[in-house]
Amino acid sequence: MRRSVRNVRPRGRGTVSKAAGILGELLLTAGFLILLYVAYVLWGTGIQTERAQDEMRERIETLWEPVQESTEASPDEVPAETDTPAEADAPSEADAPAEVDEVFGIIRIPRLGNDWEWVVVDEVDLESLSRGPGHYPQSAMPGELGNLAIAGHRSGHGAPFHNLDRIQAGDTIEIERADGVWTYTVDRTPTVIDPSDVWVVAPVPGAAAEAEPTERRITLTTCHPRYGSSQRMFVSGVLTSGEEI
Amino acid sequence: MYAWVWRHLPGPWPVRALIALVLVAAIAVALFSWGFPWLEQTFGLNDVTVG
Repeated sequence: MRRSVRNVRPRGRGTVSKAAGILGELLLTAGFLILLYVAYVLWGTGIQTERAQDEMRERIETLWEPVQESTEASPDEVPAETDTPAEADAPSEADAPAEVDEVFGIIRIPRLGNDWEWVVVDEVDLESLSRGPGHYPQSAMPGELGNLAIAGHRSGHGAPFHNLDRIQAGDTIEIERADGVWTYTVDRTPTVIDPSDVWVVAPVPGAAAEAEPTERRITLTTCHPRYGSSQRMFVSGVLTSGEEI
Repeated sequence: MYAWVWRHLPGPWPVRALIALVLVAAIAVALFSWGFPWLEQTFGLNDVTVG
């Protein structure tokens, strides 16, 4: 029986079976490419992110140090003192200030883990967000009246906000910059919204864009569901400690 | 298609296997460095911002 099949097959290999063979190969290739893309999103993108985070952390360590020391030395004259050492150091590495501009600060959320800590970049385009969570450039600064908005990936690119849905009311969100630490306390628990719901990052969330802010708020946005981006999720809190500006 | 590639690779089978592996690895690296990032950006497969 087997022998006869073998004998028949080469003769019977017509256009249809050839086409089926090519189609099969194409389907196998497509399947392999999709698996490869999944591997890229879940694992490949994380490698780039980790490298970028390490590199920015190093930069923070060298660039924040002089500023922090000087603030400790004379807390009364913060603005004047922070400017002087930066200017004194600048001529030797002229491009350093431009580079540090893209680092916004450090974000910590104890609910997501005691060692959960990310360097935040100062942009929210996809290229910047592949290096870490990003501060919406038009949104408030820490301690400022208004809404400090930060976006981060829920999956892939290190997935900083992978577990954003676990945040509960009363949890703290800490932002550290060269000139201080600000703590916000969550009062709006994770909520699913549409990608077009820009009101969550407005100075007064939910109000008209020109409304005068009276609160110092923080809002984090990420995608929803976890491995898709058809919706968004946000969580928000108000400033409970740190210098008000 | 794969049979065609295999037939056109030079050398005995271990050499062909090696070349095939290198080809597959090169394609994977190209996709990871350019193909997939482009796909992600162009089709917004992983957007996290509002607006």
